[in-house]
Amino acid sequence: MMNERLLEIRGVTHLFDGLTAVNSVTTHVAHNELVGLIGPNGAGKTTLFNLISGFITPSEGEIRFAGRSLAGMKPHRIARLGIGRTFQNLRILPNMTVFDNVSIGALAAFGHTPWQALAGGGGTVSRRISELTRDVLDQVALSDQAGVLAANLSYGRRKYLEIARALATRPKLLILDEPAAGLNDTETTELADFIVGLVSQGITVLLVEHRMSLVMSICHRVIVLASGSKIADADPATVQRDPVVLESYLGTGE
Amino acid sequence: MASAVSARKNVSGPTIPPAVLKAMLAIFLFIIVPVALSWIGGGYLFQVATTTLIFIILASSLNLVTGTAGLLSLGHAGFYGIGAYAAALLSTRLGLSFLATLPLAGVAAGAVGVLVALPTMRLVSIYFAVATLGIGEMIYVILLNWTGFTHGPMGIRGIPPIDLLGWQPGTPLFDYLVVAAVTALSLWAMSRLMHSYYGNALRAVREDDQCADAMGLNVVRLKIEAFGVSCFFAGIAGALFCHTAGFISPDQFRFAESINILAMVVVGGLGSLPGAVIGAALLIILPEALRSFGDFRMIAIGSIMFLSILLQPKGLLGEASALDLLRRQFGQGWSGNFATRVGWR
Repeated sequence: MMNERLLEIRGVTHLFDGLTAVNSVTTHVAHNELVGLIGPNGAGKTTLFNLISGFITPSEGEIRFAGRSLAGMKPHRIARLGIGRTFQNLRILPNMTVFDNVSIGALAAFGHTPWQALAGGGGTVSRRISELTRDVLDQVALSDQAGVLAANLSYGRRKYLEIARALATRPKLLILDEPAAGLNDTETTELADFIVGLVSQGITVLLVEHRMSLVMSICHRVIVLASGSKIADADPATVQRDPVVLESYLGTGE
Repeated sequence: MASAVSARKNVSGPTIPPAVLKAMLAIFLFIIVPVALSWIGGGYLFQVATTTLIFIILASSLNLVTGTAGLLSLGHAGFYGIGAYAAALLSTRLGLSFLATLPLAGVAAGAVGVLVALPTMRLVSIYFAVATLGIGEMIYVILLNWTGFTHGPMGIRGIPPIDLLGWQPGTPLFDYLVVAAVTALSLWAMSRLMHSYYGNALRAVREDDQCADAMGLNVVRLKIEAFGVSCFFAGIAGALFCHTAGFISPDQFRFAESINILAMVVVGGLGSLPGAVIGAALLIILPEALRSFGDFRMIAIGSIMFLSILLQPKGLLGEASALDLLRRQFGQGWSGNFATRVGWR
């Protein structure tokens, strides 16, 4: 299982107005792997995420998911192929309830047309969306707040709301952009357990994170970016001893 | 669906069961209002009631695209005009009856709406609003200057009143009842669209279209569909207007009318169907009621709109604040990465 590649990034380069944000990065994520992506600010981590989810297109190179090239695909098509994501700055839908926020992911998974809406709410599609939404809300322990406006949720709960919405798209690969940012130690430990739980359910996770402790404790493998280039790609123990990584990243900030 | 709707309902205290509410609304619309108006006596009052209903359709259809899907449209009156002219020309030139002109007017406006939406939906926020403003004025100019087809500024006279399979009483009561039936059907359809998972998808587009995209929603398609449906109902309203008024001219479908409809949606509350209905009723009936104050009534109405934005930013019943929507429309042009925020996406 571990040897088959779910996501392949081959020589991907991205230029922002001549500035190289991501420089010829080649790596992969295997099925059911939990991979951490770390690097100093401006290393190109979020840019790489946006490249994977289709918000920006690579200047060079190719990204393949489950054997298919993602070249030229719009974000919504990539999402439907099975890549769910969260955002670095939380992007919940504030004027909608928690339930409705999560249903967005679920309704993309099952499809939706105006005709189904006109036919009323009794159809199988609507029922499936409701079921999936409820299941995911249970999973993140938000069921009791299903009717609350997302804007009124606490910061920590919003994090789970975002993850729940991405989970409702039934992703094969979940990419989390700094999920632990702004959480305290207890909350971070909870989140780590939750992410490990997702992986044990068969979901593959790619994680951008600043918190070393989180990445080093749960990730199977760690990819290190610096100034847009990959400088290390190994298991956490090896990365922590890597002199190049220590010099460019661990030695300075932490 | 049930939970999606109930989740939203629990905001406003005790709720009446939907079936009872629908029955009460039907009794009010089809029995109480006509009986009361007949008793007070007056074709004029029926005209006001009919106009109110037509604007209720217009406001709720604009609410679908602006309130629910968050696309600021400034050209709604143009599509209302397309519906009115389509119905008027089909009945005066081809002799089609009301039951044919009504759906065809909707289809004509909806089709033009989709054609307009195809290239403009990729425009970002405020640029889309400006594009719809231009399209509304284009429709007006075409209606005004294509004299061979539309009679230009002279308008179209002698449009036959509403008939049902050849039965054409032409009384204000009959017109009112038919318009009320069409309004009820339109509201039912729009309510189904809004209070469903499909409506949730449109709301997600309003709240954060990039995020909706990342969740797997085809945002461009959703926007085009919402705009098309909205224009369809504007066309239906146009057909009702031309058959009840008997005369139409281009200046009835100008920019000011688009703003009037937008004001109804904003006062009622963005994204709320009951809000749009109340907003339309308020802004049609109030000017009529204040007619004796002459020009002062416009000051009164302007003050009401100003105060409602200031004190009640979400309108009477809205789910999103109009100021927020506008701020976001403008804000996007000035913040963030220019290359992705400005012009075409």
